[in-house]
Parts: sequence; structure tokens; C-alpha cells
Amino acid sequence: MNTAASIDSAAASAVQPQVIRVYVWDLPVRLTHWLLTGSIVVLAITGFYIGHPFITAPDPAGQEFVMGTVLAIHFFAAIVFSLSELARIVWMFVGNKYARWNQMIPVSKARWRSAWEWLKFYVLFRPVTPRFVGHNPLAGMTYMLVYAVCLLSALTGYAIFSVSAGIGSPMQVFSVLVPLFGGLQTARWIHHLCMWLLVLFVIHHVSCALLVARAAKNAAIDSMFSGYRFVRPEDLEAEEAEE
Amino acid sequence: MAASESWLVEELERRGVSRREFVGFCGVMASIFAMPRTVGARIAQAIEAADKPTLVWLEFQDCAGNTESFLRAGRPTTADIVLDTLSIDYHETIMAAAGHRAEEALEGVVSQKPGGYIAVVEGSIPTGANGAYCTIGGRSAEQIAKEVCGGAAATIAIGTCAAFGGLPAAAPNPTGALSVADAVPGLKNLINLPACPANAENLAAVIVYFLTFNRWPPVDRYRRPLFAYGKAIHDNCERRAHYDAGQFVENWGDEAHRRGYCLYKMGCKGPVTFQNCPRVGWNEGTNWPVGCGHPCLGCAEPDFWDKMTPFYSHIAGVPGFGVHATADKIGIWAAAGVAAAYAIGGLVQYGRRMVHAKAEEEKGGQS
Amino acid sequence: MTRLVIDPVTRIEGHLRIEAEVDGGMVRDAWSSATMFRGVEIILKGRDPRDAWAFTQRICGVCTTVHAIASIRAVENAIGAEPPANARLLRNLIMASQMVQDHVVHFYHLHALDWVDVVSALSADPAATSRLAQSISDWPLSSTDYFRGVKGRLQQFVERGQLGPFANAYWGHSAYRLPPEANLMAVAHYLEALDWQREFIKMHAVLGGKNPHLQSFLVGGMATPIDPDRQASLNMTSISHMRKLIRGAREFVQQVYIPDLLAVASFYKDWAGYGAGVGNYLAYGEYPEVDGANAPLYLPSGVIRARDISAAEPFDQTKVTEYVTHSWFEYEAGDGEGLHPARGETRPNFTGPEPPYEFLNTDGKYSWLKSPRYDGLPMEVGPLSRMLVAYVSGNESVRQYVDYALGQLGVGPEALFSTLGRVAARGIETLVLAEKLENWLNELQDNMGRGQLDIHDNSKWDPASWPKDCSGAGFHEAPRGALGHWVHIVDGEIANYQCVVPSTWNAGPRDAAGQRGPYEEAVVGTPVADPEQPIEILRTVHSFDPCMACGVHVVDRHGRELVKVRAQ
Repeated sequence: MNTAASIDSAAASAVQPQVIRVYVWDLPVRLTHWLLTGSIVVLAITGFYIGHPFITAPDPAGQEFVMGTVLAIHFFAAIVFSLSELARIVWMFVGNKYARWNQMIPVSKARWRSAWEWLKFYVLFRPVTPRFVGHNPLAGMTYMLVYAVCLLSALTGYAIFSVSAGIGSPMQVFSVLVPLFGGLQTARWIHHLCMWLLVLFVIHHVSCALLVARAAKNAAIDSMFSGYRFVRPEDLEAEEAEE
Repeated sequence: MAASESWLVEELERRGVSRREFVGFCGVMASIFAMPRTVGARIAQAIEAADKPTLVWLEFQDCAGNTESFLRAGRPTTADIVLDTLSIDYHETIMAAAGHRAEEALEGVVSQKPGGYIAVVEGSIPTGANGAYCTIGGRSAEQIAKEVCGGAAATIAIGTCAAFGGLPAAAPNPTGALSVADAVPGLKNLINLPACPANAENLAAVIVYFLTFNRWPPVDRYRRPLFAYGKAIHDNCERRAHYDAGQFVENWGDEAHRRGYCLYKMGCKGPVTFQNCPRVGWNEGTNWPVGCGHPCLGCAEPDFWDKMTPFYSHIAGVPGFGVHATADKIGIWAAAGVAAAYAIGGLVQYGRRMVHAKAEEEKGGQS
Repeated sequence: MTRLVIDPVTRIEGHLRIEAEVDGGMVRDAWSSATMFRGVEIILKGRDPRDAWAFTQRICGVCTTVHAIASIRAVENAIGAEPPANARLLRNLIMASQMVQDHVVHFYHLHALDWVDVVSALSADPAATSRLAQSISDWPLSSTDYFRGVKGRLQQFVERGQLGPFANAYWGHSAYRLPPEANLMAVAHYLEALDWQREFIKMHAVLGGKNPHLQSFLVGGMATPIDPDRQASLNMTSISHMRKLIRGAREFVQQVYIPDLLAVASFYKDWAGYGAGVGNYLAYGEYPEVDGANAPLYLPSGVIRARDISAAEPFDQTKVTEYVTHSWFEYEAGDGEGLHPARGETRPNFTGPEPPYEFLNTDGKYSWLKSPRYDGLPMEVGPLSRMLVAYVSGNESVRQYVDYALGQLGVGPEALFSTLGRVAARGIETLVLAEKLENWLNELQDNMGRGQLDIHDNSKWDPASWPKDCSGAGFHEAPRGALGHWVHIVDGEIANYQCVVPSTWNAGPRDAAGQRGPYEEAVVGTPVADPEQPIEILRTVHSFDPCMACGVHVVDRHGRELVKVRAQ
């Protein structure tokens, strides 16, 4: 599978002699990443308004549609969010080796060992990162949890939406979930809590990306745009040896 | 049958109710079910033709609120139901007999009309202390319910206590209170009419429906009839336009409150509560809670005493943080905490990286 | 000696059992037992005090306003909220219309069948009934044809053979003394009152969205916005609607209830000699006439001991204690102790027989009610207590109507201490309040006109504005008598909640000293012609208007673990 990672050592050495440039994030990974980012931001802002309407419209009800508009934006963003999430899950099974599900769920002993090293890196604020190329194992596990939260958020959202869905709307199917979530009011509560978990994750994710980018000097942030990341040759070798 | 039909027609005429008016009333009943008006004629026939069906009304861990609600029935009136429509052979709050003679009336129905009467249950059924938390005539509520509901053609669990356990079953459920469905498992033809109390119009409608079609109306997953519980209060609310516009009451008695803006921010549970309050109203359509300026409490939903509280907050807090700590307050503090932790961590890491780089530099210089 | 059991006592709210020993045609001893328990106070712990009114309101669906009022008053007292004038007026209107409606329903639908023989009405002469009705009242529904219609309806109901709720009663019992015509008139009014109460209680729909369980209560005020210029507020349409309802109620009470009461009472004057009870009377008082704490009350508070109506002593809440000697609860310091509600403790401790049972062990614990005592004495609460205290304290309307009623029946004031006195006091109170209601409505209308539209004390709505640890008490006069709620709030949550309820005062069992409760005391000495048909006992018990769901409650102190009961 190392064909997926194209090596361009000439280009890399022009920037920094010790590292090589690896194509880590293929296009669907980057695309879904940014679509999820954008939709989560829109969903969180509109969702926060829906939960706590901080703008009050002044004019007669017939001339204003603030909550209605916010709800509509929320629903459209939810469609983007859901499809991106779905696409990303599909890509876990057909994408390149850095996009695979086993990057999220550690199955090998090596990844568990590496996860331990990463935990020490984060908790002890170590100056140098452990070896890695794609997702570090700890981050991978976190993303798995985040996908679960996203899924829960989407399903509770559908359940809430389903009870007012129109005649013949396929969304009505999701009303079977209502009792599983403990009723609508509890579904609402879970939905609201999911938003806060995602907000916390976004803060954590951006902070970590900055930390790791500085510590590993690997263009971690740029890589989410270009797909290329700088990797120490020994890291790549170690990874290949691992397989 | 002919005798009872002529009885009804004569009776109506003597009381100044023409046959036309009676059919008109049945049309009103039909419209409650959103059925074509011609169905009204069919209901009229059914009511006239039927011998008065027997109904027994059991009260367990109750407050008599549903009985009181029944006394407010206006279409048809309670007097009409008691005297003409049904034979209410047992109802502790209204019956003339008392003591063992009252119990004999109940036993008579159960033994002489097996499968031939309607049982109405008001109040939850306690299972703690071997049933001692509610006894009538020395027998426990559970014993009575199993016998009476078990032999009934159909059972109506009226009010949220009977339908879902209600107030006695609210955490920590000190008496082990159960709903009828849970206390008498496997009951056939059980229908739930929750709400605190159930609306008299819906009770009347369900009874007439049953007598007319000889079956219960279609129900939702909580066994509530769709004609009364099929739509969220929010989707029927007279204040919905203010919600969509983004116009909310912020303080009790403020200009927005007086103008009838949406009560969502005051904790209204209309969006998650299914009942026809905005449509049929209470006390013969005089008003309903949101109409008088107070948020919906969500009383027709299971476990509303636990799930819909605090009543004045539209969403519950997080367990373990106290009753007033909203998810938003906790979320903001958590977000600030995470951001602060990373800011500090970033600084520490930056410092350590400087030291590390210097060491590397020195190591490089030495070699 | 015959041991008789009345269980269930019907035509009441809740589950009440009376056991009595009858000898020589008279009750020699009696025990009152409440047979249902829910534990509302346990459920309230740890919840938002602003929600408490909705929980306590569900203690009773008959007197559906009373526990909500007592609860918001207790919490307001604890946190220092001051409801504005409009809230006071809205509450007075709600409370008084509850009282009027409840008393009428009690008289006709819960109590009348103890005095009125429905079957005897079948032999009444409609023309004579019409003459009787017209001789006592100007009520327009009094023609011969009208009574013929009612009789015909009754006839056909009986002939159809399905007597429904009227089956198995004590019809034809020798204790029924009304002539057939009076019985027919009462049956007609039974049916009219059924329609009337449904109409009048629309007061509560206007003011509280619905009845039962109206929903406009708020800690710090009321949720019904007032504005003459807004359609979503209480406006002149609502005022006119309420004025119509109040006037209709006044007419019904003046022209139907009171004449019926006096007519029925005149045939049962001997009942002024039975059912006296404990002879001590307690009223907390109700209907504040101005705002703020310690406002003068339209019906005053006070205590009367040993039937001494020369003067009422002031009520002192510190003298209230509760006993559990004969109740299915236990105290830490021993079951012989009496504790003030603010220090009250209770753990349910059922020691009775396992159901199904035949008799209770009345030497031990035998009720889910506690025994409240005032200064160690059992106290009767309710309309009779309120009317006696108001009479002694010089309330003009009360004095006038009490004297009028006594004069009409030709009896002295001592007749008030009886089953009949209780029935009469309830009627007088209804009349006094039906006439008072419109004054409060006018005050509300005046405030509207002046642009005084406040309904709520917003300054104390946010729990952050409350003291960290505070306690309060809320007092109210429910239709059935003096009601008190005590609340302890810590960090904005309910730490402890307790209710001392009218039916606990009246229906409670014996205390540590063996003193009977008011029901028990009142029933002793009642004649019983036929132990198989103890209608006489029902008359006295019903005269208190029992409300058992209210009475049964439990207090939990300082987070102590209560008996854990698991659903099986």
C-alpha cells in the first residue's frame, strides 16, 4: 500500500534536508474534513440560537422569520454534515492507508504502544513528537469517538425532526428512535450535549494541531489543504516495517 | 333495541332536544375525530341502539383530578353520560353506595359481565410494601386492578399516573408505583389517555368512538389515540408564528408576554408534547395553559415529572451539577477550561522546545 | 358490640376507611384510617423550588388550587419575593372561586345523597314540588312542568334497570326524612348543580388556562398577563366573562344552594345535636386585602378552644406538632414524641396487615395520616372553624348570615357545634365569598385602567438572587381547612418539604395521649339504626368534606435515607 504515499524527496529536501514529503490525505479525506468543519460551525451557531434564541425580532410576526430562517439553515447544514460523515465512513473502507478504519481503531500492538507514547507526549508536554506518518493512534481513537458523537448528534436531530416531518417524508422513519433516546425531550438534551462535545473537540483539535505542527515541524495544518505532510525518513521506514 | 331507541328519542324530545340537534352533536363528535359529517349520523344510530354499556371507574394512587375533569365534560355533559349514555356502576367519588355495598357493586359487574364492561383506571398502582400503599376495602390496588381490568372488554388508563406512572412514580418512586400497562401486563384493549388531568373532551370522544365502531382508535407507540395525541402542541400553537419569527417572552408580565409572544424561552415543552390542547382547549374550549400565558409542562408525555423538569428551563441541566446548572453554562466553562489548558500546555511545550533546541545545538557544536 | 367497617367511604376525594364499634344503636368508638400513600415530599427533594407548586398541586385534583397556592407562598416567604397587587387579586379570585365551586359540588354531589332519598322522589307530586320550590326561592326553574320533566327522566332512568352510581345505596332507610317533593327538588338541583359547576369553573380557565390543575401559578406572582389593550392578555373581554360567571354563581348560591340548605336542614334539626367533634377550632385565615406580609385577611385567623366563642386567641404556628403513635411512620426519638413540622421527620413504616385484610389493628398503628395537634390539642379545621373565628372576630357579612341562618332554623349558636353546623357553615361561607368575589374583580379592573399591569416580582426569579440557605412557610385556607407548607431551600434546591393538610388535622388517628382525631371524636355518639346500613356515620364524616389524597404525606428530614421500596 505504500504506493499511495508518493515520495518526492527532492522537493522536500529543498525545504528541509532531513524530511521527505509524503502524500498522506487524499482528496475525499480533505474534502469531508472541511465540509464537516464548516457544517459543524454553522450547526453549532444555529443550534445555539435554536436552544437559546439571543436575537428577538421586533416587527409583527408575519414580517419576520428569524427562528424559521435559522432552523432552515440548520437543516441544510445538517444535510451537508450527514452526507460528509457518511462519505467519510465509506472512505474508511476504500480510501488510502491513512484514511482506513484501522487508523482509528488500533488493532496492532505497535499502535497501542505508540498511543501510549503519544499520551505521554500530550500529558507531559514533551518537546518532540513520537514517530508517525498519518493519524497518530491516539488522535485516531479520538476521531472514532468524534464520529460516534457526530452520528449520535445526527440521529437525535433526525428523531426530533421526524415527529413534525411532512406526509410521506422518509424522515418519519426516524421516529422509531424517539423511545430509544428516552423520549423527545431527552433526545433534545442529548442533541444539545453533543453540540458541546463537538465544540470542545474543535478547541482541542485546533490546539493539538498547532502544538503538533510546531513540535514536529511537519506542516500538519498545511497538509489538510495540500494533502502532503513532511515526514522523517526513519518514521516512514518504521511504519513500513510495522506492516 | 327498538324499546331503547324509542326511549332515547322520547327522552331527547321531552328535554327539548330534537333529533336534528342530537345528530348535530354527533357531528361535533365526528369533527373531533376529523371524520366526514355523515359519520355523525352513524354515531347517532350507535348511541341510540346500544343498551347502556357498563363502565367501572377505579381510583388508586390518584388525586381525583381526572374525575373532576370528567365532571367538566360539556359535550356530552356529565349528566348525559351518567344518566343516558353509560351505566357507571362503580365510581368511588360519585356513587351513592359506600363500604361493602359499594364493593358488591363492583364484584357484581366483574362476576356477572365478564368481558362485557369498560374499566377506567385513574391513578398509579403501588407495588411496594406488598400493596399496602393503596388499599380499598382491605384489598390492594394491584389485586383489584388485575381482577377488574383482567375481566374487562377494554381498559382506559386515564391521566398520566395510570398511563405512565405519573407523579407517584417520579424519582425516587417511593412506593414502587406502576402504570396500568406495567402493573397488569398483557392487558388486551388498553388505551392510554395521559395528561394531568386528561381532557374531558378526549375521554368523551374515546368512549363514543369505542361505542360507535366497537374498537379503539388507532394509537401511537405510547397507546395514545392519534386523534388527540397525534400532533405536537408546538405545531398547533397559536403562538407558533412568534416562534418562527424569533419573538419570545423574556420576563413575566413584560410587553412580549402581554402581546402573547412565544413562551419557548420560559421553558415551554410544547415542542416535545403531543396533545390537542391548542385545538380543543379546556373547559369547553374556554382557554388552555399557553393561552393564559404559562408554558406547557409536557404533562401528556411519559415520565414528565422527571424529564420535563425544571419546568422553566427548556432543556434539563446535567446530572451532578445541581438543578440550575444548564448544559450551556457547563459547556462554556468546559470550553474555557480546555482552551486554557492548551494555552498553558503550549507555553510549557514552547519552553521545553527552546531548551531542547539549545541542547541539540550544543551537542552539534561539540561534535 | 358490633365492629363495622366502611371501606371505601365513597363520595369523597381519596381513600378513607372508618372502623366503628356500635352498641345499643350508637357508635361507641371509631377509628379513621387513610389507606393510600404516595410520598410527594420525598419526590420533591433536590428539585427546583419554582417547580414545587406543580408537584404539590397534584396532591389533590378536587381542591386543585390549594397546594399550589400554599407552595408558592412558602417559597416566596423563603426567598423574599413580593408578588404585586395584581397577583394578590388574581390569587384571591382563583382561591375564592375554588371555594365557591367546591362547596356547591360537595353539598350536592358528595353530601346530598346522605340526606336526600332519590327513590322517594319518584312518588313526588310535581305541582306540590313547584309550590315548595317557589315558596323558598325566586329561582326561575320551578314550574310544575319542569319538575314533571325531571321526575319523568328519573322514572325512565330507574325503569331502564341500570341504576349505575345510584345502585346499592341505602334508599328507603328510616333515617331519610325529607318528603318526596323535597327529594324531587333536590334531585333537580343535583342535576342543575352538575351543569352549573362546569360553567362557573370557567373562571379558572380564564385565570389559569384550565381546570382541574390550573397552570398560571408562579413563585413571585402569576403568569396571566394583564393588559386591556392586548388580545393575548387578560383584558376587558376576560373581565366581562368573569363578571358574568361571578354573578351567575351569586344567583345560584343565593337562590338555590342556600334555600335548599335551609329546607333540608329544617327536616334534620336533630343533627344539630350529633357530630360535635373535638370542639377546638383552628383557622389560618385567608384573602389578604392589601399587599405584603401580615396583611389583614378578609377571613381572619385564630384559635377557639373548648367551644368558647367569647373570643378567638391568635394563631401561633410554633404550637403545631405532629404525632405518629398510631400512624404508619416512625420517629427517631420514639413514636411517642410530637414534632413541629419544621423539625419534622418521618419514615414510612407499614405495620398493618397484609392485604387483603378484614380489620386493622387499631391498638397499634392504623393510618397513613399523622396526628397534628395544636398546643397538644386536636383541632377541627374547615368552614366551621373559619366561620366561628370570623364570627367571633366581627366579620360583618359572616355575622349577618350566621345570625340569619340560626334565626331561620330557630336554633341557638350552640347548634353550630355539630354535623348540621358544619353543613350550614359551608353554605354561609359560600354565600359570603360569592358576594365578595366581584369586589376583587373590580379592583383588578381598576388597576388595569390605571395602567398598573405588573403581575410578577421579576427581581427574585433568578435562583442566583436567593439566599444560599433559607426556609419559609406558606399558609392558606383550603375549602377543607387550614393548610400549611414548610420549605427549606439550600443552594437553590429543595432540601426539605412538608405539608400539614386540613384532612390530616380532621381525619388523623389518635395521638400519643390517646386523644381521638376530629372525625373519630365526631362519629362517637352518632346513632346507628342499622349497622348494615350506617348512613348516619357517613353524614358526619361527609360533613367534614374528606379529602384523603391531601392528608397523606410524608416528611423527610436532612436527607436521611428513607425506606427503599423497589418495583417488582
